[in-house]
Amino acid sequence: MRAEQKKKLAVYTATGCRACEQGILDLNYQVSEIGRFADPVFWPYVLGTPWEALQDGVDVALFSGAIRTEADRQAALKLREKSQLMVAVGACAAFGGLPGLADLGGGAEAPAAAAAGGAAEEDKPTLPGIEPQTLCLSQVVKVDYVVPGCPPTQNLLWAAVLALVCRGESPARLSYAAARLPEPVAEAMASGMLPPRGTTFAGEKAVCGSCSRVKEEKKFGTVKRPYQEYQETGRCLLEQGLICQGVATQEGCGGICTGVGVPCRGCFGKAPAIFDPGTKMVSAISSTFDSKDAKEISGLVDNFVDLAGTFYRYSLPAQCSLLATPDQSSETDKGCDRCRG
Amino acid sequence: MSEQEFQPKIVAFLCNWCTYVAADAAGVSRFIQKPNVRAIRVNCSGMVDPSYIVKAFASGADGVLIGGCHPGDCHYISGNIKAMRRAPLLKKLLTELGVEDQRFRLRWIAASEPSHFQKTVNEMTEEVRKLGPFTRKKKNAKRSAA
Repeated sequence: MRAEQKKKLAVYTATGCRACEQGILDLNYQVSEIGRFADPVFWPYVLGTPWEALQDGVDVALFSGAIRTEADRQAALKLREKSQLMVAVGACAAFGGLPGLADLGGGAEAPAAAAAGGAAEEDKPTLPGIEPQTLCLSQVVKVDYVVPGCPPTQNLLWAAVLALVCRGESPARLSYAAARLPEPVAEAMASGMLPPRGTTFAGEKAVCGSCSRVKEEKKFGTVKRPYQEYQETGRCLLEQGLICQGVATQEGCGGICTGVGVPCRGCFGKAPAIFDPGTKMVSAISSTFDSKDAKEISGLVDNFVDLAGTFYRYSLPAQCSLLATPDQSSETDKGCDRCRG
Repeated sequence: MSEQEFQPKIVAFLCNWCTYVAADAAGVSRFIQKPNVRAIRVNCSGMVDPSYIVKAFASGADGVLIGGCHPGDCHYISGNIKAMRRAPLLKKLLTELGVEDQRFRLRWIAASEPSHFQKTVNEMTEEVRKLGPFTRKKKNAKRSAA
């Protein structure tokens, strides 16, 4: 393959922990394969490349992290302008992620206070301005593809990289990921086409669909946290009194957390058929209360702490129907028809 | 009631067998009620999914009322018990998302209690009016700590 045919790749993290970028490096031996198909012209975290490297534009931008500061917004706009395909990688870019929970606490004051703490005036770093609300990528620019997860699971991330970066080069390798993806996506990938625009690289149902635990009659005595009590009986975790969000969460991970006894935390965002993940969880948990007495029920409810932070742990800015900000992507409808096919 | 006074929008999910009949009877009996309630007839209070309530608030309701049969009187045996189990947990979530306590209510009103329905509606309208319009403000959110 000639060098000029290589896809140009940009990888960037806004407000986030960079575990998504680690996830790309964590593709094991496959990561060296990327080098055969793509030229990572802009990857500040790994290669220390400056912004000037984007001058000639890139084919695919993998963007992770939430939009929390003005610098994040500028980065998103710049990458959208310079890139043909914009991919939101990870829960932060896809739905706002953990940084989004900052909005519950009143937002902008915290970083300013932290910056002032103790440091001498001249030593204080210059912080970029804070956005009034934490946003996910699609609330700032148009997003072509979404790879959810915190961090995205290896097989789906690799499927996305293969489909978008190494297009049509090795369809046979996709078969294992294709089994987890919706049929049209898998078909497009296998035939070397770009998957339909707006595709989320995840399954179509809820995590319960791929969880192997045994579901019996659900009864909820007291709420427990994962460290408090857990016995490997192979039974549904929600039935054991743990807040497992598999019922409200999009599938695709293959139930890897629930498989080892850790309740689902909802990092793939809500399943497509669900209106709001929080209300779905309220419905699922309250239906397991084993009581007909109003006082007893409110006693049970007192044991729950931080429902908003639990149910919308990864998705508050985008999927909480009461607090979410609508998408504002129409203005930057760029680079989306040029590169189809 | 002056023209300028804030008129809250209250969405009421009323059970077909008890509270809706009570609401009907309250009208037929010419009880004086505040005109702020938008009644939605449902078969049972047990079918009111928490998402209906959140959707009502998200679509501009200032208050939501669920009316069902008294516990033990449910036409479907235990539908209202389901509503009873859901309400406290949902209320807790709503409070954390910045919806004040008084905006969401669950009441048991039998078919023979139109005056109770009238009282509930009038009380709720006045209390929600005092709170003012519901706005999505993250700052109202009160989180419960561990």
